[in-house]
Amino acid sequence: MRVLVIDPDRARAALVAEGLEGVEPLVVHVSEAFNESEAAIFAPDVVVVAAESPDRDTLDSFKASNAGVLRPIVMFVDRSEPGLASEAVRAGVAAYVVDGLATRRVRAVLEVAMSRFQLMRQLRTDLEKAQADLASRKTVDRAKALIMKERNLEEPAAYALLRKLSMDTGRPMAAVASDFLAIAGVLRGEI
Amino acid sequence: MRPLRLGYVALSDAAPLILAQALGYFTEEGVEVALFREASWATLRDKLAAGLIDGAHILAPLALAMTAGVGCDPTPLSVTFALEPGTAAITLQADLADRLPEGPFAHGLAELVSRRAALGASRITLASVFPLSLHEYLLRDWLSNAGVNPDVDVRLTVAAPSRAADLLRDHVIEGFCAGEPWNTLAAAALTGRIVARADDLAPGAPDKVFALVETLAAEKAAAAAIRALYRAASYAQAEDAQGSVSEILSRPAFLNVPQATIKSAMAAAAGSTAAHRPRQEDAVWLLGRMRRWGQLPADVDVLALAQQTYRPDLFEAAVR
Repeated sequence: MRVLVIDPDRARAALVAEGLEGVEPLVVHVSEAFNESEAAIFAPDVVVVAAESPDRDTLDSFKASNAGVLRPIVMFVDRSEPGLASEAVRAGVAAYVVDGLATRRVRAVLEVAMSRFQLMRQLRTDLEKAQADLASRKTVDRAKALIMKERNLEEPAAYALLRKLSMDTGRPMAAVASDFLAIAGVLRGEI
Repeated sequence: MRPLRLGYVALSDAAPLILAQALGYFTEEGVEVALFREASWATLRDKLAAGLIDGAHILAPLALAMTAGVGCDPTPLSVTFALEPGTAAITLQADLADRLPEGPFAHGLAELVSRRAALGASRITLASVFPLSLHEYLLRDWLSNAGVNPDVDVRLTVAAPSRAADLLRDHVIEGFCAGEPWNTLAAAALTGRIVARADDLAPGAPDKVFALVETLAAEKAAAAAIRALYRAASYAQAEDAQGSVSEILSRPAFLNVPQATIKSAMAAAAGSTAAHRPRQEDAVWLLGRMRRWGQLPADVDVLALAQQTYRPDLFEAAVR
């Protein structure tokens, strides 16, 4: 596991490393401030950032954008603000937050954060795929309806025609359907 | 009764909160306030969402986004006080600024960008303070008005204002848009030059506001806080108060920046008249920027969101 720790407080950063003892293989890189190019070279599996680090906004913005640097981000807060941990997680805030720094908990927390991150990424990919599938099915349906109307065909026949076009041209059915709709639009003077 | 817990980020437009606390106005108006300096907007947002603070000096677009549940679970906030506009500015690395014509516009940047692309050089990297901020929109509009596509031709990133001067010096970024006193600080260190101020680009554009969680906004304590902020803001406007205002802000517990820097930042940003009544037109304008730059889902009702979040009625009831 490659862990990047960003914390202005060196002593506390050392606690994170201590808590990870026994994880094999393990590389921990501690930095007082976030340095993007340095982080890119280090390629961490997980980033741990202290709540009082001003660099949190930079890390937070990576999460918002889809720019490749997406990584699970774990945030540690001080013992003085115990509520932030559980409440923030419950409120669904971006970072996984932990109160205090009990060294024995570090490893478990990082593992949870990473699996949660993988899950969220999987969910996002699934959602994007589902949305794309739905969009292409709508396109195919519209093309099919147009063929049925123009050629006076039953649904299976219209579908077969689209599939044949798709196979003949070696292109996905949604692409064929979308071209078909565009051309039909031009012919009817809509475009 | 427990004190009202308010957060802020170290910026000169947090002055009313800091002054109201330092000068005892909150107490005089009948509310005890615990003031927390937050290191980042993300942490401030999370604390509001988690109920660890009751209100804050906050980026106006972030307040709207939190109410709508963009970027976090819906956390309805009520904006009851508009903070001073005109403290945002765009600062570029001195040698980049040298290659652009004088004036607050980015003309010439498009040419520079395409020349760099032709040479295979890396894209110009510019930073704002948070994706949901006036600074982000000023920077994006400034670029696109000059024919530079902010999503393609340059690289936009986010940097904490307190880091911006160092990042400029180390060539990590080549420019940034942030609130004062951080532009003045970079200029004083000769690493950067201020090329445009918010008042050049979008006069009177809404920047930060004071917001409370919706459930507390109509409480007596909230009204007392608004009155204290109003007094503090009026005090800060007075010509002869500049010395003491900048002294208070410069303290290590607050902005922790040299008093002279704050003084000159305040002088440079002055001129925009501060109207503290939150205007729903401002919210609609910001939501328009958010929509233009793809931050607002299509199904958000802009007018309803503006009316829910911006509460001029609560401001008026408090200061009347």
